[in-house]
Amino acid sequence: MTLAVTSSAIAAEPLASAVPQAKPVLQLVGVRKVFGEFAAVDGVNVDFKEGEFVSIVGPSGSGKTTLLRMLAGMEGPSEGYITLRGNLINDVPADKRPTCLVFQSLALFPHKTVGENIEFPLKVRKMPPAERKARALELMRMVRLPESYYGKNVMRCSGGEKQRVALARAFAYDPDVLFFDEPLSALDYKLKKALEKELKDLHRVSGKTFVYITHSLEEAMVMSDRVGVMSRGKLVQIGTPEEIYTKPANRFVAEFFGEVNSFEVRRGADGWKAADGKALVVSGLPEGVSDAATVIVRPETMRFVPTGAAVDNAIQGTIYNEYSLGSRMQYQVHAGERIYLVEAPRGGAVSAGDAVTIGWDAADAIVVGD
Amino acid sequence: METRAQIRTRFAIRVWTAFVLLLVYLPILCGALAGLTKGRYFVFPVKVFSGEWWEKTLSSLEIQTLVHNSLLIAVIVTLVSVLFAFFGALAFARYEWKGRKLYQKIILLPIFFPQPVLGLALLLWFNALGINPSWMTAVIAHLVWIVPVVTLVIAIQVYGFDPTLEEAARDLGASRWFILREVTLPILWPGIWSGALFAFLLSWGNFPLSLYTAGVDSTIPKWLYSKMVAGYTPMVPALGTMSTLSAAALLLGGGLIGMLLRRRRAEA
Amino acid sequence: MAVAIEHQSQTVDTSPKGIQVSPGLRASGPVVVLLGLGFLAPLLTVAAYAFATPKSFDAFRSFTLANFAVIFDPANTVWTSFAWSIAYAVATVVLLAIIAYPIAYGLHRLFGKWAGFVSVLFVFPLFVSENVRLYGWVLFFIKNGVLDGALKALGFSGGPELLYTPGAILFGMLYVYLPFMLFPMTLGIAMVPKDLIDAARDLGAGRFMIWREVELPLAMPGILIGMLLTFVLGAGAIAESKILGGQSVITIAQDIEVAFTYAQNWPLGSALALILVVIVSGLALTVLSKLDLDRILGRR
Repeated sequence: MTLAVTSSAIAAEPLASAVPQAKPVLQLVGVRKVFGEFAAVDGVNVDFKEGEFVSIVGPSGSGKTTLLRMLAGMEGPSEGYITLRGNLINDVPADKRPTCLVFQSLALFPHKTVGENIEFPLKVRKMPPAERKARALELMRMVRLPESYYGKNVMRCSGGEKQRVALARAFAYDPDVLFFDEPLSALDYKLKKALEKELKDLHRVSGKTFVYITHSLEEAMVMSDRVGVMSRGKLVQIGTPEEIYTKPANRFVAEFFGEVNSFEVRRGADGWKAADGKALVVSGLPEGVSDAATVIVRPETMRFVPTGAAVDNAIQGTIYNEYSLGSRMQYQVHAGERIYLVEAPRGGAVSAGDAVTIGWDAADAIVVGD
Repeated sequence: METRAQIRTRFAIRVWTAFVLLLVYLPILCGALAGLTKGRYFVFPVKVFSGEWWEKTLSSLEIQTLVHNSLLIAVIVTLVSVLFAFFGALAFARYEWKGRKLYQKIILLPIFFPQPVLGLALLLWFNALGINPSWMTAVIAHLVWIVPVVTLVIAIQVYGFDPTLEEAARDLGASRWFILREVTLPILWPGIWSGALFAFLLSWGNFPLSLYTAGVDSTIPKWLYSKMVAGYTPMVPALGTMSTLSAAALLLGGGLIGMLLRRRRAEA
Repeated sequence: MAVAIEHQSQTVDTSPKGIQVSPGLRASGPVVVLLGLGFLAPLLTVAAYAFATPKSFDAFRSFTLANFAVIFDPANTVWTSFAWSIAYAVATVVLLAIIAYPIAYGLHRLFGKWAGFVSVLFVFPLFVSENVRLYGWVLFFIKNGVLDGALKALGFSGGPELLYTPGAILFGMLYVYLPFMLFPMTLGIAMVPKDLIDAARDLGAGRFMIWREVELPLAMPGILIGMLLTFVLGAGAIAESKILGGQSVITIAQDIEVAFTYAQNWPLGSALALILVVIVSGLALTVLSKLDLDRILGRR
């Protein structure tokens, strides 16, 4: 297969300068996809490194599925370049790309057995039947499917087993990059958790590059080396799970983890003030932010302040309601017109109706530009 | 992601479809042309056009009887078949019951059956019962074939019907009749409407069943056939064209009414 | 099945006589009675006549195999009518499958918002009686008709003699039965999820491979229904041979008709009809028993 760069326009684009230090297997430069007036994907630049596990998260309609379909070759980009190992693949159709997609629906062939499904890409390559079967059984071992399933009707498999068949089929294709379109979204919580771990193990064993699309940040954090967050067709931030959690690029990314306490603050003559006039201690401003910012305090960093204890910012309020999160509790605290969320370990001495002081230290808050 | 081969295939499919459609309508156009010529015998290219045969057809008493018979049969067939098929479709697609799979197959048999043979078999049966064939026996014959078709048409709509809606209505205290009137019928209405159109039009155009089971009474297709075999006059293509045009008008009108009502409901 | 249980209990509540009839059975009642009296009973009558004394009207009172003996007598040529009808039916099925497949594919995948309109154009002829449409072809092919006249007007020596030939009959069958192949086929093709085709392509399969391995097997139930319908209709065809065929070929349905009408030999006609019914119903039941109608007609 030749994936030669055919367009001379590439040389004129700043493609060479975009090559990062580590060897990228798949590279996107200024990729846009327009449907009519609507830009589903609006200028995405990203490099996927060899052997990396990258998740792209975003709410529905953020363009992540369109992005994936372009990577897999089911849609062509309206603008920009997609290169695989340095070769432009914009117009290379799905069947000619050494990449493989695991569909949300799994797209298992209902009229074929487990074995026939897995062997499908091998049959395409005209591998002799005996070799095909040996390879299929090997792959079934890899995804932990019992050998007896080889002749089983695939529609009679359970949800988790179908996942494994779909994975084995994708591996049978032996792609350079595997794409996943929320394949775990239909499963129950426990099975999902187990399969997340298995998928990560499989990634390590195979050494292949995984690109995983999901709307669940939690799922992405568990499995990925890097997480990209998409919103309205744009890749808002990409970084390690740690970076995404501790240094979100904006409020959207910060709020993607769940509800937060946020304060829009302005710098006046006598320091930072919230919208209601309350003076706040603010530190750790991101670059380029000087007079206005949003301070985000996650419920897990907001805490109850014992009387007399020192804290940078304190608020008086009343506990209105409490929710169990398992090992921790979340409290809804009303203070004036506002409602704050506080998380604390189970077994605290507070309960609904109590007057409390809540607060946080400036260093624990996240400050973003907008 | 379109290859040149795909574009070529698409083009070929479009051309092929257009060509087949042309063939589908070509004989209907030929008939229309023949009904508008002046002479007794059809000669192409047509030298003189005239509405003379249309006038003769419209003023013929014999043909008025035919139209009357065809209409009467079609109206009764429509009413009865919609009623039967509505419940038939619920049994087909809505309820889970023991005999359902078997029932689904039995109901298809009259459709998967040569109509001339069905007509002749009915003729024998009516004779055995001592019933003289007339337009009324033709109604029965039409029903045997049309009720299964309408059942399928309505069943397709029933498949899209969420049975929990009826359960929710019952949970809210609605009676069986109230649920039927307020929930089931309004939701299945588009299927019932298309079913009624199908019933009328299939009865209106049916030839093989009417031929053997209408006895001395004649319908439009039956009369046309007798004149095609012996005694051609340009009234044959003229009446054929009129019958076709009225079917088209009904289909168009029925389709439009259906669309308007659906749109009004969607906008409300 | 929660729904069924729910209804069962309803039935108990509202039926004062305490007879338990499931709502499905009750709803099927009118249709079942109609088909019992209007379909099954006539067929039984035909069966009874088939074993009655030849040329008599003694159904139910006599039992003889004489009618079948006449049919299977090698001196009798009625078997040629059977052969013609079956041959026509097979040819109709094969040719219509080829003619309709691209259109069905287009209706589902290519025509987009036009698909509804194109479908209506193909449905409409079903509402025009077949003799009117077939007669249009007579006007087209006949001497001094549209084809002949147009060719003469253009300076050719006139059209070929196509009318009243066995070929014209086949053409008429293809023409009349096209929708019966097209629509089940379209339903079948619509049963193939787009994801599966995308997945097959993603796994490297070319167009032919995708068609053979995925599209065709998954669309097969619909295609089978179309083939069955057109076979049955083709085997029982009569109008095509009478209107377009002249007397060039006698189909089996025509033989049956003659026995019932001019010849007044109801037992012979019934015996012929019975053989045709056995062939047709046997085939229909075999194919239908293999299909899941819920899936084809769109139950989730």
